[in-house]
Amino acid sequence: MSAVAADLVEHTARFCRRLRAEGLSLGPADTLDATRALGSVDLMDREDVRLGLRAALVKRVEDVPLFEELFDSFWANPGPVARNPPVIPPDADEEPENPAAAPSRRRTVHAPRELEELAVPAPSSREALGRQDFASFGEDELRAVTALARRIARRLSARPGRRWKLSRRGEQVSLRRTLREALKTGGELSTLTYRRRKLRRTRLVILADVSGSMDLYARLLLQFLYALQNAFSRVETFVFATRLSRVTDELRAPGYRDALGNLSDRVQDWSGGTRIGESLATFVASWPRLVDRRTVVVVLSDGWETGDPEVLGAALALLHRRAGRLVWLNPLLGSPGYEPLTRGMQAALPHLDVFAPANDLESLEQLARHVSL
Amino acid sequence: MREEIHRIQQAMEREGYVTDRAVATAVHLSMALGKPLLVEGHPGVGKTEIAKVLAVMQQGDLIRLQCYEGLDATTALYEWNYPKQLLHIRLQQEGDASVGAREADIFSERFLLKRPLLAAITHQGRPPVLLIDEVDRADEEFEAFLLEVLSDFQVTIPEVGTVRAAARPSVVLTSNRARDLSDALRRRCLYLWIDYPSLEKELRIVRTRIPGIDERLAREVTAFVHSLRRMKLAKVPGVAESLDWARALVALHATHLDEELVRETLGCFLKDEEDLRTVSAHLDAGELAALSSPVA
Repeated sequence: MSAVAADLVEHTARFCRRLRAEGLSLGPADTLDATRALGSVDLMDREDVRLGLRAALVKRVEDVPLFEELFDSFWANPGPVARNPPVIPPDADEEPENPAAAPSRRRTVHAPRELEELAVPAPSSREALGRQDFASFGEDELRAVTALARRIARRLSARPGRRWKLSRRGEQVSLRRTLREALKTGGELSTLTYRRRKLRRTRLVILADVSGSMDLYARLLLQFLYALQNAFSRVETFVFATRLSRVTDELRAPGYRDALGNLSDRVQDWSGGTRIGESLATFVASWPRLVDRRTVVVVLSDGWETGDPEVLGAALALLHRRAGRLVWLNPLLGSPGYEPLTRGMQAALPHLDVFAPANDLESLEQLARHVSL
Repeated sequence: MREEIHRIQQAMEREGYVTDRAVATAVHLSMALGKPLLVEGHPGVGKTEIAKVLAVMQQGDLIRLQCYEGLDATTALYEWNYPKQLLHIRLQQEGDASVGAREADIFSERFLLKRPLLAAITHQGRPPVLLIDEVDRADEEFEAFLLEVLSDFQVTIPEVGTVRAAARPSVVLTSNRARDLSDALRRRCLYLWIDYPSLEKELRIVRTRIPGIDERLAREVTAFVHSLRRMKLAKVPGVAESLDWARALVALHATHLDEELVRETLGCFLKDEEDLRTVSAHLDAGELAALSSPVA
């Protein structure tokens, strides 16, 4: 490390901060690694410096282009670096404390500009919820949806996994434990200890579109979300139009009416425009621990995207990699002659495991087939 | 270029591994900084080879842990040798040793089956190279466990105590990106992405690995495989497939590609029925010449 001059250390630290400001997740340890890496390469060789820093600072291939771009602009002047530091916005130092509030990856960095250009329907006030004919839901209808939710919950319930745990009764003798017990009796196997497979638990994450274009299906959809949330504990529900809101707790209510009341208090952008991509990107960034290989992610939307379809594609690609299964239910898919030609749907299709209709109870029934991993 | 990096590149080439500066730099830094190297890339681009070559270069042993779904500590770290323990208890039955002494006896290192991770930690002599292959196939619990081992290279076995590595092994992790690895694991490693090689590089690989190959055949094979990579195939052939195919063709004493030969050997590099049909259709259309000549 002593070989690396102090100004170079400082410059490297600045470069790391810059990368962080652009959305790379880098910590102080990475800065240290970068400096150590520079100590192990030929500093007079630009290619050495580039490859060395890249190995230390880039943690996934998606970030390589950003790195290359920033490297070129940042280290453009290989002269006396300390005297000529590149201009960094002063606020780049301040790391936002709340990761949810931070622009997560670079794709969302330019979002504010796009916001201005797009004519997004103003998020309507919460009275919008009252205009929906929610009050007139039939008891029968709700009962049918509840029965369906229970069936889906059953499919999601615990099944034997691959890992083992000790138990008094079980499918296999645990040799390790039995032998230890046998020591007490001089090697005589008197008590057998068993082991059984740990239960494997599937989780369900629902991301439901409640924008204006989905109004027609809102009633069915809400009943479904409510029933599912109350039939099964490992469900997380989110709704979005222009913004993402987590409504898991709101839906957990003793009655459907209470749940609706809670929802109208919580969700402000009901029947607004649709920014599916940004909403999903928010989900990916703010709730990273929620999705793993044992999670089925269900997106309920008609795919009428007013935001950037590329953002949507990127968010779905990430979800697809992390989730056990990615399902998109589109109410329009049920209508004859519909083809998923909207830009949003086109961007989404390559990343989906299942693309299925969801316009009536019957089609929701099909969901039960897709949710077990 | 730093001399060490150049030397690594030369040593790799000597071992028959055609490489570039990015690979050599990453390997050098992994050794210099003592950090694990995470290698990602498409299947068959030579990720595993890096560990093998590294082991040869360092004259150390290669210890390999192949990951799969459901892999757990007993297959990755250690397991007690139960049959041997049982036998031992039986044999000792007549003795008057206390239960405590017997227990200490059968739970000693002699009865321990060392799985790859423990083997790497307790390895004597030159530090070995630990290859954790296809880490993306193991589940997330295992990844967390791996993080623990990789951070301080020590494990605690309840019956024996804490075992610490005398010399830190060099660690290479590979991933085909079947699932996204956690940021925590990525942060612990240096990162290297290996893409499909360029036409020239792949040609060099084929020539190096199959010394007797006809020059024209080598060119046609690499160009053909490159054309395939531009098609939308379910299983894109990697370098390993080009080499398999070239070897098969050499075994058939081929000096160049012709349609019949390609049809007969499609199975060497296409592993999906749909892909077979796609490529056959291209051959039916008489595109062999176009496919097997390099595109600018």
